[in-house]
Amino acid sequence: MRDVTFVLPPHSVLLVVGPNASGKTTLLRLLATALRPTDGGGSVFGHDLVRDADAVRVLTAFVGTSAGAYDLLTVRENLAFAAAMRGRPDAPVATWLDRVGLTPVADDPVRVLSSGMKRRLALAQAWLAAPRLLLLDEPYGGLDRDGVALVAEMTEDTTRRGGSVVIATHEWERVMSEADAVLALAAGQPVEVGPVAQLTAADLAAAAGGRR
Amino acid sequence: MNGFLRAAAVARKDLRVEWRGRQTITATGMVALLMILLLGFVVGSEPARAAAILWVAMGFAAVLGIPRVTQGEVDQQALETLLLYPGSREHLFWGKCAALTVMLSALLVALLVLLGVLFGVDVWDHGGALVGVGVLGIVGLSVIGTLLAALVLHVRGRELLMPLLLLPLALPVVLGCVRLTEAILTGTAAGLWPAVLVSFDVVSVLVCPILFEVVMDEV
Repeated sequence: MRDVTFVLPPHSVLLVVGPNASGKTTLLRLLATALRPTDGGGSVFGHDLVRDADAVRVLTAFVGTSAGAYDLLTVRENLAFAAAMRGRPDAPVATWLDRVGLTPVADDPVRVLSSGMKRRLALAQAWLAAPRLLLLDEPYGGLDRDGVALVAEMTEDTTRRGGSVVIATHEWERVMSEADAVLALAAGQPVEVGPVAQLTAADLAAAAGGRR
Repeated sequence: MNGFLRAAAVARKDLRVEWRGRQTITATGMVALLMILLLGFVVGSEPARAAAILWVAMGFAAVLGIPRVTQGEVDQQALETLLLYPGSREHLFWGKCAALTVMLSALLVALLVLLGVLFGVDVWDHGGALVGVGVLGIVGLSVIGTLLAALVLHVRGRELLMPLLLLPLALPVVLGCVRLTEAILTGTAAGLWPAVLVSFDVVSVLVCPILFEVVMDEV
């Protein structure tokens, strides 16, 4: 990635668009501290991404394209594990299962779940951390209409608590009503950065395709 | 306290996954059983040979089972999620090490019973002392093994690399355990081997968690 500079204020949602291999996931993984920048840097709520990575991890939750769950454990056990690892062993797992619509399959092993249900589990694992920076990579994959609404609810909940959300997706039309700003990438470089209000649908379509 | 709870959560999770999949214990158990039967036929089943056969079998079983400690995370695409949880990676080390210790302990108990049956070793009379040696050996193997499992995580040909790394590094453990077990079974003096084993374990316990953090930072 090169020349990517942005400031994301609290209570706001950044939509990251761009064609395949434009650097959307790389950007999210950099913000999540899964990758270290070779040059340049950044901070999350005042914490440096490299020097203070653990403090960033406390504030951040990243939902990648895989569920990050264990096939042989039940949905409930996976969620309880995530809560324990987040330092919240007493988190009300049953409440979270209910909130994301996983109560009926709570005691099923993850390996029998559909991709949409696995996606809901990944969202719940991130949500129960009450993150201040929520990073969602293609969050709509496999989700039904209720699942899409769940992503919107999660986004709204995070911004209402003073947090920020970064959503990288090809399905940018779904997020337009929630997004405050857009960062369009092509080959790891920004082709468009700005508030959503200043962009037309045609601008966004062009930006999402990697054209200025 | 938080670190202890995180380590306990990792250990509980690993043991649950192992209990339901039984991948590691089946593979290590089969290798250890075959080694004991094979070596028993080749060198004879006198009680005096039992110590060497037991710990050689444990060593080779560990070579096979140890990579599963971290490979399971990669297979499940859960490694990145695990590494992105806040807190020291040392907690992950201790959780994984504890789970490996439990698995190797279960294997050792099964092998001791087998030796009692096949080699006529009086396991029950020497139970306390054998457990003591077992604890020292398994702690050494688990601590070194957990570090190496992280080290070979993304290495191609790790099945070849693991024995090349583990067997030389764990030689003091295997050798010490053989000599101590021999001393227990034959009623001879153990010499300096208890001190060697304890020293190895102490150094490993102090150094390996630190190196694990460094290795995991580069994953």
